[in-house]
Amino acid sequence: MTTFDKVQTIFVKKYDLPAERIVPEATLESLGLDSLDLIELLFEVEEEFNIRVPQEGVAGVRSATVQQIVDSVDKLVAEEGMPAAGGR
Amino acid sequence: MNSRRVAVTGLGLVSPLGDEPGDVFSRLMNGQSAVREISFDGPKRHTNVAACAPFDATRHFPPQQRIEHLDRVTLLALAAAAAAVADSAIELDDDLKRRSGVSFGTGMGAANALEETFAQLLLRDPDRVKPLTVLKVMNNASASHIAIRYGLGGPDLTYSCACSSSACSIGEAYRQIRHGYADLMIAGGAEAELTSGFFKAWEAMHILAPRDGANPAASCKPFAKNRNGLVLGEGAAMVVLEEWEAAVRRGARIHAEMAGYGSSNDHQHITKPSVDGQARAMKLALADGGLSPDEIDYVNAHGTGTILNDVTETMAIKQVFGDRAYRIPVSSTKSMHGHLLGGAGALEFVIALLALRHRGVPPTANLELRDPECDLDYVPGQGRAAPDIRCVMSNSFAFGGTNAVLVARRA
Repeated sequence: MTTFDKVQTIFVKKYDLPAERIVPEATLESLGLDSLDLIELLFEVEEEFNIRVPQEGVAGVRSATVQQIVDSVDKLVAEEGMPAAGGR
Repeated sequence: MNSRRVAVTGLGLVSPLGDEPGDVFSRLMNGQSAVREISFDGPKRHTNVAACAPFDATRHFPPQQRIEHLDRVTLLALAAAAAAVADSAIELDDDLKRRSGVSFGTGMGAANALEETFAQLLLRDPDRVKPLTVLKVMNNASASHIAIRYGLGGPDLTYSCACSSSACSIGEAYRQIRHGYADLMIAGGAEAELTSGFFKAWEAMHILAPRDGANPAASCKPFAKNRNGLVLGEGAAMVVLEEWEAAVRRGARIHAEMAGYGSSNDHQHITKPSVDGQARAMKLALADGGLSPDEIDYVNAHGTGTILNDVTETMAIKQVFGDRAYRIPVSSTKSMHGHLLGGAGALEFVIALLALRHRGVPPTANLELRDPECDLDYVPGQGRAAPDIRCVMSNSFAFGGTNAVLVARRA
């Protein structure tokens, strides 16, 4: 399963959205998610990938696309994996 | 001072004895108790007695409602509010919505979410709690969800004064209308703290009634010689209050006139009750309603079943009513629905209103051994008809010393 597939599954399960709407270029706003939905989404993503989204990393996330989320996840996963990152 | 009359036009319950007010009242009249054994598993299993509300959230909320965002206390409150609004048959137009509000009382608020949060942090992952925890546990969550649900733009206030929380919230809502700040208020309260941790906290106070071995349902024995503490309950009760003339104009069914509210504090000790403090609240409620003690035909007592409460309340009632104290039926329905804490005042006020409507007074259950220090007419065992009932009083007294007394008159 790719990162995209996993993120897509979270959207579908958490928000009852049809999978075909979860395309890379869709913004969270266009999917009808409000600010609280986003907070929950971040939590689910953190759980799924065992990462921590930085507190300050949330601004502007509503206008982010699904692809941008996927990229951010990959970046955070890579950082978590690196010993130099110093853990959490 | 602008002083308007206030009508009670809607009643809504989610209670250990059921949700339909008429059914709840007939169970009370028959002395039926909802108190049962309740067990908690965990590191150490423990068993208590309590009165749980048989509540199925999926029956009250559509699948698209995100009920996991709401604590049990808020779910109970929303369900009771919906019942009260439906009972009132009110149609809220935009003007009225702006002049309408919510007044809510709870003692411990979102106890379940709070306990779940700490369990998660301490037992599972010290780094993670659920994302919307703050919005779930804030004490005003219930009131605000009710306001959002009905689009009410007036006052939206939450009162927390332990066991008188929802008597205060109804009294303060009545004042909002009486003094012209609002035309309609959804008012009441809820409590849902039947959790393992909160039971332990209450146990540590040495104030819970032990299980009655022969009959657990009879564990709470208000005013009896062998009373030995309170039994916890959970649930919600809400009323719709309206400005009297408006209620009459729209042809509303008026359950009763909300006639008076008295609020006082004992100001002496965090738990020990005061005869003077309680009596002062009763006198203030009578004065507020322009009523004499002779007009009260039923008192729904605070009647927790603790040694100290019941004797103190008995003395306070005597101070207020004099010789007439012996001729007024006074009952503690907590013997049957348990102590709803922050929701108690609202549930018991609704029961007092049902006494007016059904012209009968509910009993005090489990009162077999008389206590010479509690020598009023507590209506032991079975309810009785009261064809000439005119006005009723509902007492709520709290840890912290806040006393709230509500008085209603037959419409």
